[in-house]
Amino acid sequence: MNVIAVSELTRRFGGKSALSAVTLCVPRGGVYGLVGANGAGKTTLIKHILGLLRAESGSVRVFDRDPVADPVGVLSRIGYLSEENDLPRWMRVDELMRYSRAFYPGWDDAYAEELRHAFTLDSSAKIGNLSRGQKARAGLLVALAYRPELLVLDEPSSGLDPIVRRDILGAIIRTIADEGRTVLFSSHLLEEVEQVADHVTMISHGKIVLSDSMGAIRDSHRRVTLRFSESRPRPPAIAGVLRWEGNGTEWTALVRGDSRDLKIDGADVVSDRVASLDEIFVAHVGSG
Amino acid sequence: MQSAATAFAWEFRQRHRRGALAVLASFVALAVIRLAVAGAGRIVFEDVETFAIALVVPMVATFLYFLAIFSFGLAGDIAARQSIFPARMFTLPVTSSALAGWPMLYGSLAMMILWLATRLLGTWPAGVNVPIFWPFLLGPSLLAWTQALTWMAYPMPGLRVIVTVLWLATIDAIVMIALELKASEGVMLALLAPHVPLAFLVARGAVARARRGEVPDWRQLFAWMGRLANVVTRRRDSFASSARAQEWFEWRQYGRSLPLLVALLLPFELALLFPFHQTPVIVFETLCGVLLTPPLMAFFVATTVSKSSSQAGDAYGVTPLIATRPMTTASLIAAKLKVTIQSTLIAWLLVLLAIPMALRWSGATTLVNDWMRELVKAIGMPRAIAIVALGLALLISSTWKQLVQSLFIGMTGREWLIKTMAIGAMTLLGVIVPVAHWALGKVVIEARLWVALPSILSTLVVLKLMAAAYVAIRLHHRGLVSDRTILAGAVCWDVAVFALYGLLVWLTPALVFRRAPLALLAILAVPLARVAAAPLALAWNRHR
Repeated sequence: MNVIAVSELTRRFGGKSALSAVTLCVPRGGVYGLVGANGAGKTTLIKHILGLLRAESGSVRVFDRDPVADPVGVLSRIGYLSEENDLPRWMRVDELMRYSRAFYPGWDDAYAEELRHAFTLDSSAKIGNLSRGQKARAGLLVALAYRPELLVLDEPSSGLDPIVRRDILGAIIRTIADEGRTVLFSSHLLEEVEQVADHVTMISHGKIVLSDSMGAIRDSHRRVTLRFSESRPRPPAIAGVLRWEGNGTEWTALVRGDSRDLKIDGADVVSDRVASLDEIFVAHVGSG
Repeated sequence: MQSAATAFAWEFRQRHRRGALAVLASFVALAVIRLAVAGAGRIVFEDVETFAIALVVPMVATFLYFLAIFSFGLAGDIAARQSIFPARMFTLPVTSSALAGWPMLYGSLAMMILWLATRLLGTWPAGVNVPIFWPFLLGPSLLAWTQALTWMAYPMPGLRVIVTVLWLATIDAIVMIALELKASEGVMLALLAPHVPLAFLVARGAVARARRGEVPDWRQLFAWMGRLANVVTRRRDSFASSARAQEWFEWRQYGRSLPLLVALLLPFELALLFPFHQTPVIVFETLCGVLLTPPLMAFFVATTVSKSSSQAGDAYGVTPLIATRPMTTASLIAAKLKVTIQSTLIAWLLVLLAIPMALRWSGATTLVNDWMRELVKAIGMPRAIAIVALGLALLISSTWKQLVQSLFIGMTGREWLIKTMAIGAMTLLGVIVPVAHWALGKVVIEARLWVALPSILSTLVVLKLMAAAYVAIRLHHRGLVSDRTILAGAVCWDVAVFALYGLLVWLTPALVFRRAPLALLAILAVPLARVAAAPLALAWNRHR
């Protein structure tokens, strides 16, 4: 059964299309990375999954429920870390934990304390006095402490410092996935996504441009550098090449499919390697 | 932008152009009425005061609007310790004098134009002698001090409101005393002229300190109060339910504001009893003022009840933290309603404890006892008790009503709707107040109104019940509230209406009031549709 099933979801804000016929299925278990440039529609999609936005057309089901019609049934099973640091400034960390635990029967006090220590958060500290990174840690703590079936992290890297991001977030995400729960996280830091995600969905201008398992994406994209015998003003037009870079005699192609098909008269293959997620993203989204 | 002055002017114009247009439209409308209706003799005003009353609402509304926008009060948290001057401006490459000076200058000019417009509309064609120059300084003086005092950082939350209100009231009192003493225009000018420069110096210092991040902190001195509050509220390791947790959140968010404001104002108000305990008029007015304090303060606190965050950026929306609580929309509203009830009751408990103490210690008890004896003598003990109890109940319910009646607008989180409703309410008042003033005292019109009263009340009742029915249907269709809750709410409302009706019938002589209008009055007095619409508004906001 899919934890998240989004079908033909379309959303417009005024005259601007934020999501255009988006279809996405997230099965139980695993880590799903949602990547895209700023303003691509990641947060809009996440807000629909949480029921904070109502589908204009299409449908959104989470745990086979409509998140707008049944917010209690859906939200009680989701841990959510918002991109916005919206925790009340007047609350203390221990008050935040006490307040949050009331909403989730599965709240694990021991785990919450463990996380608080791992995040080096002082229980008597006021949220308003915490740094941006510490606020993000506090938000992550209350999103994790009840061991939600689905963890939704909206740009967690924007608030977390590199140490927490590298050492803690990755470990937590892997632990959750290993326990058979599901993580959906959005990010524009592709390196980070590449490290932890099992499945990647790329979104650009409100449309999904690529969605597949990390393995399949890696297997299907290669970066091939070609050297031509004569200088060329522009690269040759070849099916399967998503992006060309270079000039003169040396051109590099980002190829979708088998790079062995890339045989051109008068050109030698200088290098042929697996493309990084960053290169694949740039090739699909077409910027950079 | 060629200069800081242009940049400030551009920002004010861009941010508040719709408000400025509304202000302009209201004054143009008044001018048209004045020229086309009053000037043409279609309506004859008996005295200049009758027409001037038409100016009161738009002028006061515009005055308050200018206070809010030029002090940046619309964008800041006025209860916070930190300066409400926008922090984003602190990094601009301009001096603190420029930061404080340009908004003060533009605000002063706006206030002067307001007086000019008011004077032109208010005196023509009556030709009465209205002062010209000193009121040009009064508006800017009040605004300049509002700016200086609101841009200042304070050692305690909420202190800004008290200091500002007291200082403005002091300036106002000085002006009123001077007018009572028939001070000349020159004296008035001498009294008002130093205010703007002085306020500028204070504002410049306040902005400079705020830029350096200096915020005094006395909270440790009052930490014992917090500990006491925790003991009183029986702080536990965990909440019994999510509803309790949400109530706690709402209480901490805004619930304490009303009791706190009332507690801070009461000593100043009741202090008047000590020097004037033998002056019946002042004792009476002081007690009236004290009794009206909770509903009046509730009017100001009400704006914060709709918010899910005290941070300025979230002024109208519902924060993700609250929107993602695994609670129904109706439960979120229920928590708000419960906290507003607690807040109202605690505020009134303070009033009801403070009044007898102040009366006893000031020696004004004798005077009040005499009034009570006269009341008992005139209408009998049971009715006297009922009238006092009813008055108190009306004041308490009015306080609560002030807190919750705008929830159905505020909870939508739509800035355009909130502002449109505020302008609409002001416009309505701008029409009703002068019309009522014009109509009252005219025997023929009063008689016609008296005859038409049942029809007017019936129309209002029909509108209210239609709105309530619409809300109930929407609540049912959206599944926001269970049918059982809708039914229980309707039964509670019926009981309240019948109780009020019974009391009104018992208290009022049958010769003066027939029973049907009393029933209609009872129906109109008990809140229904607007409170019931709050879950719809929040759902619209929570699931956009």
